[in-house]
Amino acid sequence: MSLRLQYARPRDLDQTIGLLDGLSAGAMVIAGGQELMPHLNYGRISPSVFVDIGNLKELQGISATDEGISIGALTVHRDLQTNALINESLPLLAYAAAQIGGGRQVHNRGTIGGNIVAVHPLYDIIPALLVLEAQIEIVSAAGSRVSNLGDLLTDTSHQLGTHALLTRIVVPHPPQPHGWAYEKLKISDGCYASANAAAMVTLRPDGKLGAVRLTIGAVTEQTIDLTPALSDLVAEDPDADLNDTIAEVCKASIPEPLSDQQGHGEYRRAMASVVARRAVAAAVESARG
Amino acid sequence: MATDIQELLEDSVLVQCRVNGAHVEEEIHPATSLLDFLREQLRLTGTHMGCMTGHCGACTVMIDGQITKSCITLAASVQRKKITTVEGLRNEDDSLHPVQQAFCEESGFQCGYCSPGMLLSTLELLRENPNPSDAEIRKALSGNLCRCTGYQSIVRAVRVASKLYSVDKDSVS
Repeated sequence: MSLRLQYARPRDLDQTIGLLDGLSAGAMVIAGGQELMPHLNYGRISPSVFVDIGNLKELQGISATDEGISIGALTVHRDLQTNALINESLPLLAYAAAQIGGGRQVHNRGTIGGNIVAVHPLYDIIPALLVLEAQIEIVSAAGSRVSNLGDLLTDTSHQLGTHALLTRIVVPHPPQPHGWAYEKLKISDGCYASANAAAMVTLRPDGKLGAVRLTIGAVTEQTIDLTPALSDLVAEDPDADLNDTIAEVCKASIPEPLSDQQGHGEYRRAMASVVARRAVAAAVESARG
Repeated sequence: MATDIQELLEDSVLVQCRVNGAHVEEEIHPATSLLDFLREQLRLTGTHMGCMTGHCGACTVMIDGQITKSCITLAASVQRKKITTVEGLRNEDDSLHPVQQAFCEESGFQCGYCSPGMLLSTLELLRENPNPSDAEIRKALSGNLCRCTGYQSIVRAVRVASKLYSVDKDSVS
């Protein structure tokens, strides 16, 4: 525990940005605490200041806009699961949020923004948000900008620096109708995944595959977006055997699989193909209604 | 207008909240977890320290009626909130809360280390879902680990608790 740690609880977004702009790089933003507190407890971080954003109204609420569904960064996992708009428009996100480990206690307190900036390879939200082509709104003293979530995840850190704040997530309205699936291979209900896959599929009027979007999480340091590699599946018959294509693409995209308590690397690589195939098949079924 | 940074920075935090119905006002170090605040400063040792990573659930408490893991909650963040710990389950006449009664009757604990968390997770479940299925019970307890009792008797205890507990007669603040 850092004995020099200071605490600030700014009253609004403007004050928060002013504060972050003036603080040194040792300051850390904290909301639910589900990511930072374990690190603090074990002495792995020693921030100079905790900036508690838990009360910022600007970072709360879920609403439909012309651009898509706008989700405040402080939205907790439980709200993603129960919110009517999310369930109706983004059922993949609602379902993925329900698969987050740690139980209801974590769902009640952990936030979508914290889950994103943690850039943790075993978390469940990023694979779903990448499939949904989510954008994020970032505010700093220089102003507000919107970025593709995928552009921010080119490294194992979120690249926001310590002076900018993730304020909202905007998920474009998905094509309608579409099918979706989230497959999480795990040892028990409250666990991290050994491998997970999020998929979104559209079918053309002739029943052939339209768009196929697929991400794989929990097998490498970063979530893998297989969508470009699966472009050959467009116009394919969804009832044809797609397994070999998906397995090949998976194998080629996982040069260095993770090895940890969730499983050995070779196992994870093999399971990535399994969850990927299951996710695409389930998304096709879902698209057929 | 430029933000006056020094005015916003605090070396210690005055936490004002309600714990088991009683008003609490304490000065704390900013890094204090809610678990340490409850155990070390308020001496409410019914909330147990387990993993300190948010995995085991032994430190489960309620904030405004919602369960959370106190080891990964910053105490400074519970300003003006209502905290309920296992000590708050006791009825005014010192009799056991119906959920505690059910765990006693069905041997829902052995060493008791996980019990405070199990009890509070059960209470939140039954407030939302008075008649949960076994699958719903297991899902609701997925954030609580037990390493000696065995989950069968815990699930059985929750099943019995659902018969003894009534939201209308809930005295827990």
